Amino acid sequence: MAEKMELNEVEVWDGNYAAAQALRQAQVDVVAAYPITPSTPIVENYGAFVANGYIDGEFVMVESEHAAMSGCVGAAAAGGRVATATSSQGFMLMIEVLYQASGMRLPIILNVVNRAIASPLNVRGDHGDMYAGRDSGWIQLDAFNAQEAYDLNLCAFKIGEDINVRLPVMVHQDGFLTSHTAQNVYPLSDDEAYAFIGDYKPVDEMLDFTRAVTYGAQTEEDWHYEHKAKQHRALMDSYTVIDRVFAEFKEKTGREYKRLESYLMEDAEVAIVALGSTVETALLAAKQLRESEGLKAGVVAPRVFRPFPFNEIRDALANVKAVAVLDRSCPMGAMGALFNEVSAAMYASPHRPLITNFIYGLGGRDFSLEDAKAIFREQKGHADVGYITTPLQQFSGLRGPKLGFYEMKRSK
Amino acid sequence: MALTSIKNLKEFSTANERFEGAHLLCPGCAHSMIVRELMNATDDNLVIASATGCLEVCTAVYPYTSWDTSWIHIGFENAATAAAGAEAMYKARKRKGTLKDPDAPVKFVAFGGDGATYDIGFQWLSGMIERGHDVTYICLDNENYANTGGQRSSATPVGAHTSTAQAGRVSYGKKQKKKDIVAIMAAHGAPYVAQLAPNKWKIMAKGFQKALETEGPCFINTVSACTTEWKFNPKDTINITDLATDSLMFPIYEIIDGRQLNILYRPKNVIPVEEYLAAQGRYKHLFKPENRHVIDMIQKEVNERWEYLQRREEAGV
Amino acid sequence: MKGVLATDRRGIRELGAEELVGWDEVTQGVILESFEVPMEENVAHIRPEERPYSDFSSYTATVASWRVIKPVYNRDICIDCQNCWVWCPDTSIISRDKQMLGIDYDHCKGCGVCVEVCPTNPKSLLMFSEAEEPEAALAKWPEKKKKEKK
Ligand SMILES: Cc1ncc(C[n+]2csc(CCOP(=O)(O)OP(=O)(O)O)c2C)c(N)n1
Ligand code: SF4
Ligand code: SF4
Ligand code: SF4
Ligand SMILES: [Mg+2]
Repeated sequence: MAEKMELNEVEVWDGNYAAAQALRQAQVDVVAAYPITPSTPIVENYGAFVANGYIDGEFVMVESEHAAMSGCVGAAAAGGRVATATSSQGFMLMIEVLYQASGMRLPIILNVVNRAIASPLNVRGDHGDMYAGRDSGWIQLDAFNAQEAYDLNLCAFKIGEDINVRLPVMVHQDGFLTSHTAQNVYPLSDDEAYAFIGDYKPVDEMLDFTRAVTYGAQTEEDWHYEHKAKQHRALMDSYTVIDRVFAEFKEKTGREYKRLESYLMEDAEVAIVALGSTVETALLAAKQLRESEGLKAGVVAPRVFRPFPFNEIRDALANVKAVAVLDRSCPMGAMGALFNEVSAAMYASPHRPLITNFIYGLGGRDFSLEDAKAIFREQKGHADVGYITTPLQQFSGLRGPKLGFYEMKRSK
Repeated sequence: MALTSIKNLKEFSTANERFEGAHLLCPGCAHSMIVRELMNATDDNLVIASATGCLEVCTAVYPYTSWDTSWIHIGFENAATAAAGAEAMYKARKRKGTLKDPDAPVKFVAFGGDGATYDIGFQWLSGMIERGHDVTYICLDNENYANTGGQRSSATPVGAHTSTAQAGRVSYGKKQKKKDIVAIMAAHGAPYVAQLAPNKWKIMAKGFQKALETEGPCFINTVSACTTEWKFNPKDTINITDLATDSLMFPIYEIIDGRQLNILYRPKNVIPVEEYLAAQGRYKHLFKPENRHVIDMIQKEVNERWEYLQRREEAGV
Repeated sequence: MKGVLATDRRGIRELGAEELVGWDEVTQGVILESFEVPMEENVAHIRPEERPYSDFSSYTATVASWRVIKPVYNRDICIDCQNCWVWCPDTSIISRDKQMLGIDYDHCKGCGVCVEVCPTNPKSLLMFSEAEEPEAALAKWPEKKKKEKK
């Protein structure tokens, strides 16, 4: 039996340690992993828990991230709880297997400590890896700070393993900004945390020898499409379970999560839509602008990136006049992905605010309070004149001549 | 651990098959002979991982499976790790008491083609062996990427024609030597490593049983004659394999704990490699006068290799 | 031996003849289960003719149409050596209790390996055209061949 750990009511943990503690409390059966900055401490801390008898499961240090996810798939098909962590290049090496995991409906938990993708090589945070996972069939939860990294890991097991979901789940946090910043975290006790998640319930397990199950069959043109559609439907429908788990978590801890977080949006005239730790910067900017300039600014942030909160975006932005959507990943030849998805949601709405796109923070470039304020003020300008006066895509915090793409077309 | 009796073929034939017909492998394909023999060598439950390749695309095509055991395919390169992951889960669940039937005996097996083993999955296999998982890995070595139409692999022998190492007006086919996968796996210190062939059914069954019985990672390279890409009549699969083992193109031997090498089959009459080559379309071009030197070179290599294996066996190191 | 050479479940449909169901009816996670119900005993201890194969098992499909020539079995000469059993790539030699019983024509692809490895003289298995009736084939069976002098 694994040794229990006495935790204080408040601990000072960074995002990585918070995630590692959640994995320990979930008593994961198999962790197959490979180190990469900035997610390495999750794996190292897990290793320390193993070495000191706090975990009963198997800790398999493999020879690459591709093997890490492959081992996770084999282990999950064998009917137990499975988790791992990675970032950036490691994430890219895993991608082939991410699709295989979700196609087989295996509820693996992957902590992605977001980091930029080479070339050029960079260890700092942006959302390149998170975005690269967006078509992979995984549920994607986004933590903005260490507490959330802990909380969302606990929720992730409960969501992914739910009999009506059975999908793998990524828990994202920003490299360094969240992963390496020590903050106050309020943990549950080991018993409370485990009781919240519950025992793993095997489905189609390879170790039940009364049933012979084949995993990973070939499907050609007669069958592939139906299987993909069924999987898409499961991911689309998973929101009901996500909502239920978030509600149960609130009941237990008082901490409330929504698939789309909205801050100061009741009377907002302008808004920023963003992901990750940027949300906290944008919110602080909104608060200060409200006080100093009377600017009615609000912030909208997908807590759940997949399934995308399409309806909730429409509702949250129903009354704003101008919106800036921030993408921390270079879209390379297109508008930002988050911009496109927010725009699509608003296009299917009677109310269509003015929407612009900002690329920012690539490779860990600082996104300051002033940057956020400037974006809010610009939106206010658009709201006042009734059209977009700037290029539709701009670059915040970039040195050199101003870079921008596309203009708004006006009938007049 | 329950091994089936392999005292003679009559006894062996009482094994209850767990590999079903109406798979899509070519008529006469040796892959299924090898797979059947492995599965019939034990009564234990099996968890089998297969790499992408002929075996996988022909035995699990929705909505059909030919496997009566737990079976998983993830990708081309990671069958070893799929099996390792399942084995790790078995250990964890056994310790925690969450298995449905904790006493049910089980063996973990991975199958990969030579492409999956020698080439793309080499690192995954190496990692699995190094970490010491209790997995038996079996390479179905048909010396080419058969599933994708017969491209060269690092298991393709010198002189063979493949679609990406072509024989032509100025080329005699593949120029590079076959990778010595058995030596590489033995160098990992794996407790049991062998090269076996289905024509020698009893030696092969014994080797399979040894690998299944041995705790820890075991590796077996099996010669799998491919009627389609080697270009011979499907009825001749075993005849060709006889020529392979009796010409010593495929010596049959095992290596215990990375050290002790035992030769498991010594042909009474060693035949010239020329006979083996002449029986297959993939070597047809070698019989042009200007390629005579290639056949001589292959024969020389085979002689030297046989000499080396015998000396190693004698030396016992 | 009824129920061994031809069972209720074996080869009941051509590959590809299965019903193409919609997205809501395909299996979750593309899983295929080989048996209809949980097996109370280790499958390795149950004979194929007694197993509850599901429609997902290729046991229930046939590849007979792949064949242009077929092996015919002559019980009178057979010595039950089981060579044909061990080397048939298509699990199509039916042996029970150390006896060769016959050929599973639902799964045999007509490769001819069994004929090649049969050691009797004359052979106990020979290839005939697919259309040939077994009785007619047996009537044409060759005489014992003299060993060729080398
Ligand atoms: C990552 C990846 N690369 C390439 C392929 C294409 N591919 C599938 S099977 C195969 C060759 C298989 O060769 P081998 O492992 O020798 O097995 P065989 O078919 O010969 O039995 C290739 C190249 C793939 N499926 N996945
Ligand atoms: S191509 Fe070769 S290996 Fe593949 S199924 Fe045919 S005979 Fe077997
Ligand atoms: S012809 Fe081939 S498939 Fe048919 S029974 Fe003989 S060996 Fe098996
Ligand atoms: S190989 Fe020939 S003699 Fe041997 S069992 Fe088969 S049919 Fe009988
Ligand atoms: Mg091959």
